[in-house]
Amino acid sequence: MVNKFLSKLKINNIAWSLSMKRVLWALIPSILSSVYFFGWRSLFMILIVNIFAYFSEYLFIKNSNKKVHSSVFVIATLFVLTLPPSLPLGMAVIGVIFAVIFGKMVFGGFGRNIFNPALLGRVFVCFTFGPYMMGEWPAPPLGVLKGFKCWIVDGLTMATPLTDNSMALSPDLIMGNVSGSLGETSALAVTIGGIYLYWTKSANRRIINWVFISAIFMQTLLWLLNINEQVLDPFRAICAGGFLFGLFFMATDPITAPKHKEAQILYSVFIGVMTILIRNFSFWPEGVMFSILLANVFVPITDYYFKSRKKRKKIKNAS
Amino acid sequence: MLKGEKKITTVNLGKDNPVFLQILGICSTLAVTNYLKTTMFMCLGIIFVLSLSNLTISFFRKLIPSKIKRVISILLIASYVTIVDILLKTYMPDILKQLAPYVGIIIANCIIMGRVETFALNNKPIISFIDGLRCGIVYSFVLLIIAFIRELMGNATLWGYPVLGDWWVKWGIMTMASGAFFLLAIFVWIVKNKFTKEDNGVE
Repeated sequence: MVNKFLSKLKINNIAWSLSMKRVLWALIPSILSSVYFFGWRSLFMILIVNIFAYFSEYLFIKNSNKKVHSSVFVIATLFVLTLPPSLPLGMAVIGVIFAVIFGKMVFGGFGRNIFNPALLGRVFVCFTFGPYMMGEWPAPPLGVLKGFKCWIVDGLTMATPLTDNSMALSPDLIMGNVSGSLGETSALAVTIGGIYLYWTKSANRRIINWVFISAIFMQTLLWLLNINEQVLDPFRAICAGGFLFGLFFMATDPITAPKHKEAQILYSVFIGVMTILIRNFSFWPEGVMFSILLANVFVPITDYYFKSRKKRKKIKNAS
Repeated sequence: MLKGEKKITTVNLGKDNPVFLQILGICSTLAVTNYLKTTMFMCLGIIFVLSLSNLTISFFRKLIPSKIKRVISILLIASYVTIVDILLKTYMPDILKQLAPYVGIIIANCIIMGRVETFALNNKPIISFIDGLRCGIVYSFVLLIIAFIRELMGNATLWGYPVLGDWWVKWGIMTMASGAFFLLAIFVWIVKNKFTKEDNGVE
């Protein structure tokens, strides 16, 4: 349907791939929860950002016969879902243009990028428009219909579950009725999407398992040692912030994650441990973004190392 | 000789630009381009050092034994850098405060060593002097454009005066070194795209 519409406009078709479609399906609960808690503006933001992402990729490939790969929509949607609800639209657009061009197209397009483009875009916006990205976290409106009846939530700011230690474990935290970035507040919606990905094997199960285990282990360790008062108990730490979102959608990105078994385990443990360490011992309240990008840096070399080790073992066994 | 002189004196900002094509001297591109004012003085310092050290080394090029030519050229460059440092210290102490470590780093600027080694040691003094000026100007051209964009976007000022109004949201990344990296990359990208196409057309 989209292709028909686009061919009417005489622009390139989109090359859909199954795994990317599945990720988009899995994101639907999160998109719904972002509308439910933060108003219709978030859906509008997703649409606008997707259009800009499409055209920034289109600019690069218009002279060749390639099609725009559907991963660009995954990048754009994931990118928007990590932004705060009140971010001005222009900044989101700048971020996504950066994410697509410098995160993906500069490396040679789909399948060649080193860093997760959505997270790269978020880091760029985070450093460029710092006050907008970290200062304001509007709370979801009250009532049953919540965001369905308003365009944008009011400026009533509230501490996020990550920074407010007094917030008790409540259904609100699991449902997502707390302040935070658009798509990550609702642990339930993210988990529904994540389980779909896990079930259909679109996301690498090994990475999900190991990131989850290592993060819980690290958090429990810090919690039991009682390092400082900011340490949340493990269950709350998992539900709060963007950990689940990063776990299911970012860390498992098939392009930037390693291909070999041992490298995958190393990568996942690194993400899990670093996330908790950054959360508890640094200036930043959330560490998922940085830990995944840092882990991406080491992916090529670990992949290369384990590949060559496998080869050497084979030669040894043969001789 | 005349031909060579003509070739050198045509200041071609895109082609044969040491920053663009050889990616030389980008350390200072990244470090000092926060503000237009400091960049301007840095550029003047580099033009001064580059042209005069080219001239001096070219004068003595037949006297210097080839084994120690690098040592001598570094000593000469260092003395010119010291002159720049002293001049700034006496007349513009404020700017020196902002530039402090980077004035000394002029000596390690790859463009200067590169020009001295490849050009001044093999050519006559006046041509070398002109070549130094040309390289310095071409280098400053890049630095000033990057500084212009960075100061405008990062601080909404130019030469210290506020230019854009309050509506402009300051881009934090432009005040960091990474902003200079991205700008330089975009810059090189545009220029290379344009000028390599021209080259193909000519040949």
